[in-house]
Amino acid sequence: MTDNQPEPLEQLIHDVNSKCASLKSAVQLLRNASDDERRELLELMAQQAEALVKIIVEYKNQQ
Amino acid sequence: MWYLFAKVVSMTKLKILAIEDDQLFRKVMASQLAGHTVDFAENAVSARKKLETGNYDLCFIDLKLGDQDNYSGLKLIPLACSKGIYSVVMSGHDSQAFIEKAHELGCNDFYAKGNEENNIGQVLARFCRRKEKSKEENVFKEHFVTEDPATKATITEALKYAPSDLPILILGPSGTGKTSLARLIHDFSRRKGEFVAINCAAHTEELLEAELFGYKKGAFTGANETRKGKLLLANKGTLFLDEIGAMSLKMQTKLLKAIEEQTFYPVGSDAPETSSFRVISATLEDLQSLIKEGRLRFDFFQRIHGLTIRLKPLSERKDDIFPLISFFTRQGRRLSFTQEAKTELLGYNWPGSVRELKKLADLLVAGDEGRVQADTVKRLLNSLRPEEGASGFTTDEQYRFALRQGLNEAINRFIDGIIEKSLKAHNNRKYATMRDLKISSRMLYDSLRRLRVALRPLRKNKKQTPAVSINPANIAPTSGSNDTKAEEKVVV
Ligand SMILES: Nc1ncnc2c1ncn2[C@@H]1O[C@H](COP(=O)(O)OP(=O)(O)OP(=O)(O)O)[C@@H](O)[C@H]1O
Ligand SMILES: [Mg+2]
Repeated sequence: MTDNQPEPLEQLIHDVNSKCASLKSAVQLLRNASDDERRELLELMAQQAEALVKIIVEYKNQQ
Repeated sequence: MWYLFAKVVSMTKLKILAIEDDQLFRKVMASQLAGHTVDFAENAVSARKKLETGNYDLCFIDLKLGDQDNYSGLKLIPLACSKGIYSVVMSGHDSQAFIEKAHELGCNDFYAKGNEENNIGQVLARFCRRKEKSKEENVFKEHFVTEDPATKATITEALKYAPSDLPILILGPSGTGKTSLARLIHDFSRRKGEFVAINCAAHTEELLEAELFGYKKGAFTGANETRKGKLLLANKGTLFLDEIGAMSLKMQTKLLKAIEEQTFYPVGSDAPETSSFRVISATLEDLQSLIKEGRLRFDFFQRIHGLTIRLKPLSERKDDIFPLISFFTRQGRRLSFTQEAKTELLGYNWPGSVRELKKLADLLVAGDEGRVQADTVKRLLNSLRPEEGASGFTTDEQYRFALRQGLNEAINRFIDGIIEKSLKAHNNRKYATMRDLKISSRMLYDSLRRLRVALRPLRKNKKQTPAVSINPANIAPTSGSNDTKAEEKVVV
């Protein structure tokens, strides 16, 4: 599993899942966050969304 | 009673390493792990360096550390294991193959990312339960040795309440480990103060009062200096009242007041002392009879029996015999038994419980037999146990002596011989003698007086090395008698 380079699709699934999971958990955090924390979280969440788009585009370009 | 419900739930501050490349996820973890000491590693190189220190209780490992990473998180698991760090793998992709691989490499827990609010709490709870469990196992191997499931459950329950103020009453026949358990509870209580024990059966009422409450110089004959009582010595610690059934009703009332008010007066003093301590008591007597016969005040009983623990005699947990022998011989010669010797040990009913077993182990270790035979076990057990038939207990010499001098004289001589032996064995420590022989101070002092009289003519002629020497400062007064005076500077 770690010895061979993983399949690109498998990689993509893993990365998309991971990034979405962070977003989901960050949403849970937003509920009780202070204003400052909320601002920081939203900023990071936006970056996460962009990263998601990027890995999907990269995958598409590889195909 | 409030304290019956004061169950203690403690969550310790943990040292945690979170290995995670995703910044947003690190933010999530930091928030979910608030209250613990959390350190982060963003890549495998930094993670390795930090894990090498071994300075963490547990680590969370993300499987994939970077977009181009080839699941290097997996490779960190063996390192964490080798450092004794509890490893938790988190993955955005909970495929069965990953779960299996991670467990194969030795991870302790695995969870799918996405619901950190619940997952992290559950992981920590599982970790704490495991830690508790291994701590418990250690207790039963190193401190209170037992393999008996019921006894384990009893002790585990007792230790749960160790940090609380809940009073504990320990019941059980002699030698079952009541004192050992009381000390263990104190050691687990995280109290700053001392464990202070007093055997209520080894003192007359006046002496017990002086021991418990302390006294002021000149409060009574022999009170040559002001002395702190056990109640004060136990401040912020534990007061262990052994043999509570022997305490007079008057003393129970006094002690009850002191426990409730955490304030008391030393004998002969009008300045109150304050002390706050946890009470653990023990008795080998039947509790119901003590109450029914009016020997234990009901209000006092109510105060001391927050949690009641009954320790089983060794005869009801024979699986403990060999683990206990291993424990008693752990620092010296290890013993090996023939099958017949084992059968002998398992068939015996151990009236003296663990104490008797310990004595046997000591005797066996001192012996020079390679593999212990059944006959040796039988012989030594016989030597530890008083003869069952009364006549077998009496030698011909004793019988002749009784005929010559009368039975009373013979009894006294018998008592004196035993007391003298015990004092010698204990380096003249009177309390140890009273405790071991389960005798009152009155019996000890009467015997010492007789011993002194018996040896007086010898002293006149020739200076003898004293078999027993007593420091009068340690002789406490006995009730309404002039004994103390008579015993001043006693050298037997
Ligand atoms: N479970 C145990 N594991 C290890 N040692 C034990 C255990 N139980 C008892 N012992 C040892 O056996 C001896 C007797 O135990 P302890 O003094 O605690 O018994 P006890 O019930 O208080 O006796 P008593 O009724 O005479 O006061 C001590 O040396 C103690 O260390
Ligand atoms: Mg004891």
